[in-house]
Amino acid sequence: MRPACAVSVLVLLCLLDGEAREPVQTFDQPEAGALSPRNANYFIDVRLDHAARTLTGRETIRWRNISANPATELQFHLYWNGWRDLESTFMRERRLAAGFTVPREDAWGSVEVKKITIGPADLTTQQRFLAPDDGNTADRTVMAVPLPAPVGPNETIEVNVEWTAKLPRPFARTGYVGDYYFIAQWFPKLGVLENTGWNTHQFHASTEFYSDYGMYDVRMTVPAGFVVGASGREMERTANRDGTETYRYVGEDIHDFAWTASPDYIASERMFEHPTLPPVRMRLLLLREHAGQESRHFDATAAALRYYGEWYGPYPYNHITIVDPAFQSRADGMEYPTFFTARTRWLAPGRVAEPERVTIHEAGHQWWYGVVGSNEFEHAWLDEGLNTYSEARTMEAAAVSNDLGLRFFGGAVPWVIDDIQMVRATDLNRLTGYRENAETDIQSTPTYRYWPSTATFITYNKTALWLHTLERRFGWPLFQKVMSTYFERWRFRHPQPDDFFAVVNEVTGQDMTWFFDEVYRGSNVFDYGVQEFTSRLKPAPTNSPAPTNAAAPTKDQYQTVVVVRRFGEALFPVNVVTTFRNGEQVIELWDGRDRRAVYSYDRPSQAVSVEIDPGRLLLLDVNYTNNSATLDSRAGDASLKWSLKWLTWLQDVMLTCAFFV
Amino acid sequence: MILAAWLDGLGRVRRAPTLAAGVFVLTLAAALPLAIVMRGTLAAHLGNSLAANTAADAVNYDWWQEFASQASGLGTTFTPAIIGFAATLDSVSGVFDARGPIAPIAAAIASYLLVWVFLSGGILDRYARQRRTYAHGFFAACGVFFWRFLRLGLIAGAVYWMLFAYVHRWLLDDAYERLIVDVSEERVALLWRFGLYAVFGTSLMLVNIAIDYAKVRLVVEDRRSAIGALSAALGFLGRHPGRAFGLYALNGLAFLVVVAVWSLVAPGAGDAGLSMWAGLAVTQLYLLARLVLKLQFIASQTALFQRSLAHAGYTAAPLPLWPDSPAAETIVGGV
Repeated sequence: MRPACAVSVLVLLCLLDGEAREPVQTFDQPEAGALSPRNANYFIDVRLDHAARTLTGRETIRWRNISANPATELQFHLYWNGWRDLESTFMRERRLAAGFTVPREDAWGSVEVKKITIGPADLTTQQRFLAPDDGNTADRTVMAVPLPAPVGPNETIEVNVEWTAKLPRPFARTGYVGDYYFIAQWFPKLGVLENTGWNTHQFHASTEFYSDYGMYDVRMTVPAGFVVGASGREMERTANRDGTETYRYVGEDIHDFAWTASPDYIASERMFEHPTLPPVRMRLLLLREHAGQESRHFDATAAALRYYGEWYGPYPYNHITIVDPAFQSRADGMEYPTFFTARTRWLAPGRVAEPERVTIHEAGHQWWYGVVGSNEFEHAWLDEGLNTYSEARTMEAAAVSNDLGLRFFGGAVPWVIDDIQMVRATDLNRLTGYRENAETDIQSTPTYRYWPSTATFITYNKTALWLHTLERRFGWPLFQKVMSTYFERWRFRHPQPDDFFAVVNEVTGQDMTWFFDEVYRGSNVFDYGVQEFTSRLKPAPTNSPAPTNAAAPTKDQYQTVVVVRRFGEALFPVNVVTTFRNGEQVIELWDGRDRRAVYSYDRPSQAVSVEIDPGRLLLLDVNYTNNSATLDSRAGDASLKWSLKWLTWLQDVMLTCAFFV
Repeated sequence: MILAAWLDGLGRVRRAPTLAAGVFVLTLAAALPLAIVMRGTLAAHLGNSLAANTAADAVNYDWWQEFASQASGLGTTFTPAIIGFAATLDSVSGVFDARGPIAPIAAAIASYLLVWVFLSGGILDRYARQRRTYAHGFFAACGVFFWRFLRLGLIAGAVYWMLFAYVHRWLLDDAYERLIVDVSEERVALLWRFGLYAVFGTSLMLVNIAIDYAKVRLVVEDRRSAIGALSAALGFLGRHPGRAFGLYALNGLAFLVVVAVWSLVAPGAGDAGLSMWAGLAVTQLYLLARLVLKLQFIASQTALFQRSLAHAGYTAAPLPLWPDSPAAETIVGGV
């Protein structure tokens, strides 16, 4: 699309949506005949040296400046330098985690650009490393080179890069174990040039990635006999005289490219077909030891393709590859465009949703991260949170069997607790992790600044919980429209948090800023509770006889007092529902702003219970047990039952220990 | 010989039901105080909330997780692993994974084991004699052998501590990590892990069997020296390895059978009504069966040792007699 047209479209969008913001890139509309701007196109040729555990590659990057300003330099991610030594920012952050152990001598990985040219200009010696996030001079994960001449808005250049890389033992979904390889974030990759300048963050322990869309045409040369899977589609395969094979994969309108190679994969395919959605060829690379779990992977992927497609918009590619990563590869549960890794175990009981949950989650990332390309360095919740919410919804819609599974003997022996089924609202939205870490970070903090060991609870859990809260507040039909509008508007572009909030406000017709102030711009916890609940016979008036027949109470014989309290700092309007023995219910809408509210009722019937937010709209309430009170408490029964269970567990433990005497 | 000793042991256990009942009551009594504390903790957290209704009728996992996130001390052990057969898996895998209990439970277990050390002398004496010793004879034997068993227990404790603190770490952490460093198949890693479990379990079993026969020799031969008894036990094992280890394996097999049956019938969460009491009864029956098996270990090993001697049923120590009271002596003496 020509610049003038793009600007016109932007103006039109602004007119349609009063709250629409300036996008981070000016020329981010799809190219003619494409789904995305296709401004970062990679043509890569790489060779895997199995014996030396190295990659040797060369790439040509055809890059178009879609920002509003001329570019005077290029910035590249060299992610593998995060595993170069203990002083990289990645490792410094990793060292903050409990139980950190120094990697083995042979575990480290690195990448080195040997040559970089633009036309006749050789920029190799002008490489310099940047540390925009923390100033760590030992970090080499961001590299910059000056451009021989500024590249103006919407202008295109070609960059040639040659590099070598040492494969690590697995770090962050990358590396080798035995003859298994999973290779991600592996090539010198451009950052994103926004209107405000380059957005090229260092590699951090708790963040993921951000890049522009384009076409990837990649040739991978690996030892013969290895099965290869990658982003995009296989276009050709060539047997070489030196005992290697070269695979060529092409992916269009994607913003990353990962691949895997192993002789242990069993490849199989199945078609996803749906009355209203386009067909998708699903390719599964399953390890031999997981043979028999094919259907579980395919069915879960199909569930994601179906429900995300129906709810948000169709999957825009006609292929998807599911990878079953090897034991110890640490490559499980990760998304790449049209390609993702699942997670399963050798012993995987059918009633426990492993591999289903992770498969749905990672397949779902094709929408939230793949198609809607948010910045995972800064706003990981925009993909992980939206996707956790969507995954939970899909698990429920697809009725995936989801009993609680425990593991014993170092994780080797699974056992299913069939008394406990995971439910969407609390378990799949991961309330527990959030409850224990609710105040660790304000969600609007850039993700790479979150405390590394608790970042996930804010990014995934909190977001899923507040999105589900919004769904319960607005109802699914309206909230589905919110999500599908956001998806449609920001597909193949880079949205910011305010873009999502604007869509919520626009589609619901309500200004939800107060809510986002609480959940996104704050770290306060929600905790409403019943402080006092009494329902007693009213004192008899002086000189009047007390009622003698309890079965026929006089009018307004009982006085019920309810005191509800806001224990947390965060605010949310809640219902307070008092139920009487005669079945009557009184519903009060409390704005939840004051520290407490008092309700008093004179009724012919005694009250039996009071509940705050009985429909549980507010899923972020960290203490839901205190949300209700009853005069007919069964805490005695419950505590007896469970303490007897615990008693027998303790007897079992004691008896086992008695083996030693 | 192995089967005969095993059946002989079973007979000895069967003919002394009071012992089984006694250790059953002991196990229950040792766990009960902490269970009462746990009940108070659970009741306090549930308060008068409606969450208690679901928790009483089935499993309120939402409440459970909320409780767990706020729990400390004893409350941290209130996990879904307490339900049904998971409890057994949890306790056995706790041993193989060298998971230490939290302080209050460790204290309860230590007290429980100390009482077992005290009772072991009486139990062994009863099974060795194969006739009723009555309470006074039983407790007199307990008293006679307690300090000897305690000395033996200190030796055993030191060896077990070495196994858990060093050998376990060396096997299941260091060696395991080294063995699987290039393993990309989980099932291969699990084979290694279970192989190492087997090595660790075998080392525990070797210590256990030696200590068992040392106890037998302490009682049957009325030995004073714990070290001497241990040395003699090793001698016995060296002379009769087939019998001793065969019997141990048979007892181990019986344990596996009991556990396998339990895995099929272990009750789930149930409700707070009749099923709760039925579940409790079934669980207590299982625990009783395991206690009987423990006694069977003792009785059959005693039987094997005695059968391996010149004359079965030999016990060196005279039957401890309860001394008459001074008043009785006075009457008998006619003074």
